[in-house]
Order: sequence, then structure tokens, then C-alpha cells
Amino acid sequence: MRIRNISLTKTLLLLLVLLTLIPGTLGCLGTRTVPIGWSGGTIDDGNIFLGSMEGTLVGIDTSTHTRLWVDVTLDDDDQPIIYGSPATGNGLVYLASYTGKIFAVNPGSGVIRWVYPRTDALDPIVSAPVFHDGKVYFGCSDGKVYALDADTGDLAWEAQTGEQVWATPVIANDTLYIGSFDKKFYALNTSDGSTKWEPFQTEGAIISPAIIYNDTVYFGSFDRHIYALDATNGSLKWQSEVTADNWFWTSPVISNGNIYAGCLDGKIYILDVETGTEVIPAIDLESPVSSSPVLSDNTAFFASEDGKVYVIDTTTNESRLLNDLEEKINAALCADDEAVYVHTQTNESLFALNKQTGVVMWKLELSSK
Amino acid sequence: MSIGAIWDLIILSPMINGLIVLSHYLFDNLGLTIIALTIIIRGLMYPLSLRQMRSTRDMQALQPKLNELQKKYGKQKEKLAAEQQRLYKESGLNPLGCAVPMLIQLPIWIALFQSIVRVLATTPNQFLALSQHLYSSWSAVFSLVPLNSQFLWLDLAVPDKIFLLPLVVGGTMWVQQKMVLPTTGDPQQQARNQMMLWMMPIMFAILTLQFPSGLALYWIVSNIISIAMQYFVTGWGGLVKSPDTKKTTKTKKQKGSRPSAPAISPESAEAAETISVQKEGTDDYGKSGDKRQDSRRSSSTRSGTTGKKPRRSKGNHPKRR
Repeated sequence: MRIRNISLTKTLLLLLVLLTLIPGTLGCLGTRTVPIGWSGGTIDDGNIFLGSMEGTLVGIDTSTHTRLWVDVTLDDDDQPIIYGSPATGNGLVYLASYTGKIFAVNPGSGVIRWVYPRTDALDPIVSAPVFHDGKVYFGCSDGKVYALDADTGDLAWEAQTGEQVWATPVIANDTLYIGSFDKKFYALNTSDGSTKWEPFQTEGAIISPAIIYNDTVYFGSFDRHIYALDATNGSLKWQSEVTADNWFWTSPVISNGNIYAGCLDGKIYILDVETGTEVIPAIDLESPVSSSPVLSDNTAFFASEDGKVYVIDTTTNESRLLNDLEEKINAALCADDEAVYVHTQTNESLFALNKQTGVVMWKLELSSK
Repeated sequence: MSIGAIWDLIILSPMINGLIVLSHYLFDNLGLTIIALTIIIRGLMYPLSLRQMRSTRDMQALQPKLNELQKKYGKQKEKLAAEQQRLYKESGLNPLGCAVPMLIQLPIWIALFQSIVRVLATTPNQFLALSQHLYSSWSAVFSLVPLNSQFLWLDLAVPDKIFLLPLVVGGTMWVQQKMVLPTTGDPQQQARNQMMLWMMPIMFAILTLQFPSGLALYWIVSNIISIAMQYFVTGWGGLVKSPDTKKTTKTKKQKGSRPSAPAISPESAEAAETISVQKEGTDDYGKSGDKRQDSRRSSSTRSGTTGKKPRRSKGNHPKRR
């Protein structure tokens, strides 16, 4: 009897130890499935807003580089994981969470105005929310595109695609453009979510946010091509001649007649916006480009995952290293007149780099630990 | 180049790309792909697995003698080591015989496990990690991801919501463990065995509750293959009590004595019987050839000594060598 008791105790203890150790070991084997979040910043009225990796909304005054308020805890029960940059409009800041909720926060007080859905949660949201004309739009992993009333958070409409929607919508001329995991690119009327033209089929999933320029919509696909479609009817203008070595994950930028598209193969492809042909050979950053670039004047700012920030002069297409922050960068970049802002993930911080010299003007650690 | 990079280059990336391409030829069905790839990999590892199982079986058969040596020379470390070496030599066994094939297979299993997890990417960070494993020269792999994770009632990327898979994982693992673990009359050893028998299945069942069901599918297929292979090596092993065992146990119970000799397979020698066998000397383990034959011979000898039938029942004989 005693042996049996000892054996049972030992069994339970060993089971407990193994249950603690094995998930950790499996994590080391690359099985970590936990989402981490990497929100970019959004600048509005001299303040920068971003979602921290701890699931809070951070507001910083860029002139004094101090926090506007104590970081806003968005959800006590289920810590939000924020991938998309916040949107601002209608006097509110909007954030989308991987935990399936949209939050609207008053930037003056840091108080949450509304949450959608009010009960329960949607599927994970990777897409960033976009504010336009009184509505907030976003894509969701349940395959739908949602439009909410920006004031109240009430659902205005929802439109179904064939698969998950991780891309951030882009809006122009009362039309919302967005790609889906179903390899199709959609144009929806912002009034009711109805399809404007037959979805355009590519050979790969579409996560890259699109960009609109001269009635043409440009986006990258998992099939490793950049596409240009007529924004009015969805017809193909061109598909890039060059095939990249990996997925296009981020948004491209357009300047001086060229489109600049970062790729997970570590290169920046520079294509003619009219023809899709390569203007110069791709610039190799030697590390994946997963953060969306930012354009300021005639300069495009790109960051590679290994922590390097580069600038490309879009008049000459010459590139140079602006700064090596030596921290992981996945979050989208943003810029104002003086600085380019980089949210790093390794030791979660916000860097303000001088746009010309790359010198760190200031740095704010975001992690509370 | 770091060890991690070499691992990715030589083992993990080929397996990930292979898995993605294979899914294309298996109707874009990831469930079928996991089953097929697990069978293929286990098939390729078959000679090593077989060798490992046989070595394990033979080592277990030798265990009673090792226990006896332990009792006899427990405090004389050097003498004990020398005697153990002598026993290994006489029996023609290498103590590393079980470990080496296992060590060779382990990286492949880990890579298969990792590749399944990687292709079941669900979060953005996982997709970014997966992208760095894809072969740029294989156009198809870029377009095929994300793979369709629907299989039967399952979304392979998330845990099974109806909790059936944890039961099947635990059940198949229990069967496999039961076939391998020896039975013994030593209460302490028996308690340890019981602990092993239940601990791993329970643990994996709990893990299955938390991990993507694609992994659970891999564990189930892998367990079933192991059960099949084990059956061909040792028969049903500890899973089925042989008539001899039942009879012996009954007799012992009737006599009110400590149960001593179910002895259903080489790997299930009883401690009590061990002692009596040891007294017969080590000649049971001949120096030549077929260890199974040697083992049988020793069993016969034991049977002769103890008045029992030969140790192995029909159901517990190896089906083939």
C-alpha cells in the first residue's frame, strides 16, 4: 500500500515536471505558436500612437517625447496582441487586436470609448484598422471585411471573402481595396460592402496592403509578383516581370514614377509604375523586409528584420544605411517632418531617428518589465 | 554557419518543402500529407527502428542477469562493471545497441515534428518564420502556402475541439508502451513500470489538448506504426497475458505467495524468476549468432528448472527476425 502511495506521488510529480518541461522543450524546437504583435506607429497632431507588445495603447508627445497618459490597458481579461498600426479620426484612436476586438480610445484622456464586438470576440485580426468618412474598416481572419460606425462602434456592414483577410484595406473614391488568403483581390463599395468588380485572381495569398496611384491599385502577392490593376474595373495593367525570391508581405510605396516594394527575400524591388519593369536591380538588404516602409519627401525609408534602417533617394535610387539599431524590426515605420519612428521588438522600444543623419534623437523603452 | 542554420539547411527545410509539395499531389489535403509523410519517414527509418526494437528486446531479456550481478557485486563497482562487460560480451550484446539507432532517428523525428508545426503556421510570426524555409527555385511552394488545414472534422492548425484526438493519442501510446514494458514480480519495479505505462500517454493526451491537431495526427500515425513494428518484433508483448502467465499467476495467488513469473517475453522477465535463472549460470546466453534462439534456449532451460512451460507464449513470439 505504501509502495503504491509513493508510486502515485512520484507519478504525479514526474507528470507535473514533464508537463512543465516538455512544452518548453517543444518551444525550443520551433513549435512556439504564440502570437507576439508588432504594431507600427501612427502620427496625429504631434502625437504618436502605437500598440505595445504588452497589449496596451501607448501615446507619446513627439515634441517632449513623454507619454500622454499611463499606457491604456485595453482588455484586462484577454491581453490584446496588436499587429496593425492604429488609425486616427473623428477624435478617436482605433486599434485592432489579434484577440478579435476593435478598440476606440479617446486620445485626450486615454479612456476607451467603445469596443467591438461588445460581447465575445471575432476571429484574430491582423489587419490594421482604417478610418474613412465616419467609418472604421478592417479585415478579419474569419474571411470578412468589416465596416463599423466610427462614433459608436456599431456594425455598418460586413463582406465575405473566401479565406482569412490579414491585409489592411486601402480606400479611394468610395472604394475599399483589399486582398485575401483566397488569392483574390477585392474592390468593395464603402457604402454597403458590395463588390465593385469581379475579384482579381492571383496565384498566391495576398497580405500586402495595396497602394493607389493615378487610378491604379498596386499590391504584392505570395506568388512573388507585384500587380497593377485598373482601380475602376479591376483589369490587369501589368504583372511584374521579375519574380522575387520570397513573398511580398508589406505595403509598397510610390515616388517619382517608381514603385518601391520590400520583400521577405531581403530585397527592395524598384519597378516602373507604368510598365512593371525593373528600373534598377533590386537592392539587397540581406535580411527580410517585413515592416511597411514610409515615404517622406523624396526619401523612402525601409527597415530590415535584423534592425537596419535604410533610406532610398527616390530621385536617384541611391540607397544608404541610416542606422543599425541591432534590434528586430517587424513593425511598420512612420515619419513626421523631423524623424522616422521605429518600433523595435527585441527590447521593445520606440526610436526616433533623424531623417537625414540617422542619429537617434530619442528612445523610449515601451516594455514595463 | 551555426548549428541551427545547418540543421535548417540539411534537414528541416527539405522536409518542409517536401511536405508542401507532397500536399499538392495529395489533393491539397494536409491531413493525408501528414499521414503519408509520417509513413514515408518511418518507412525509411524502418531498418534502424527494427534494430532498436530488437536490441531493446534482447537487453530486457538480459536484465534479470544484470539485476543479479547488481545484487551480487553492488558495492564492488569495478567488479560489477567487469562482470557486466563479461555478460554483454558473452551474450553478444552491445549496451549501446538500443541507443545508437534511436539517436540516429531522433533528429529525423524532431525535423518531421518541426516541419509539421511550421507548415501549420497560424500567426504572422509563424508565417514569417516559414517563409525563410521555402525554396526560391520551387515556385509552387510559395503559392501553396497557406495550406488547407481542414481534415475530416479537424482544423489541423488548432487543437481538436471535440477532444477525441487526445484520447486516441493517449490510447495508442498506452498500447505501444504496454507492448514494450516488461512485467515483473518485483513490486517496486512493477510500480515503476506502471508509472511509465500511464505517465507518457496521459502527458501526451494533455499536450494534445494544447497543440495543433496536425501534430496529434502525426503522433497517432507514428504510434500505430510503432505498434505494428513492435508486433512484428515481439508480438503483442505485455498487452496480452499468455496462458502460462495467467496460469502461473493463478497458481501463485492460490498459494498465497508473491507472484514471480509471468515471463511472457524476453522483455518481461520477472525479478523472482531472474534469481532462479541466474543461479543456473550465464551459459544460457551463448556466444554465437541468433540471440532469440539463445533466449529461447535459456527459457527452455529455465522451464526445465522451474517445471514451467517455455517462457514465450505463441502470441509473444517475434513474428519475424
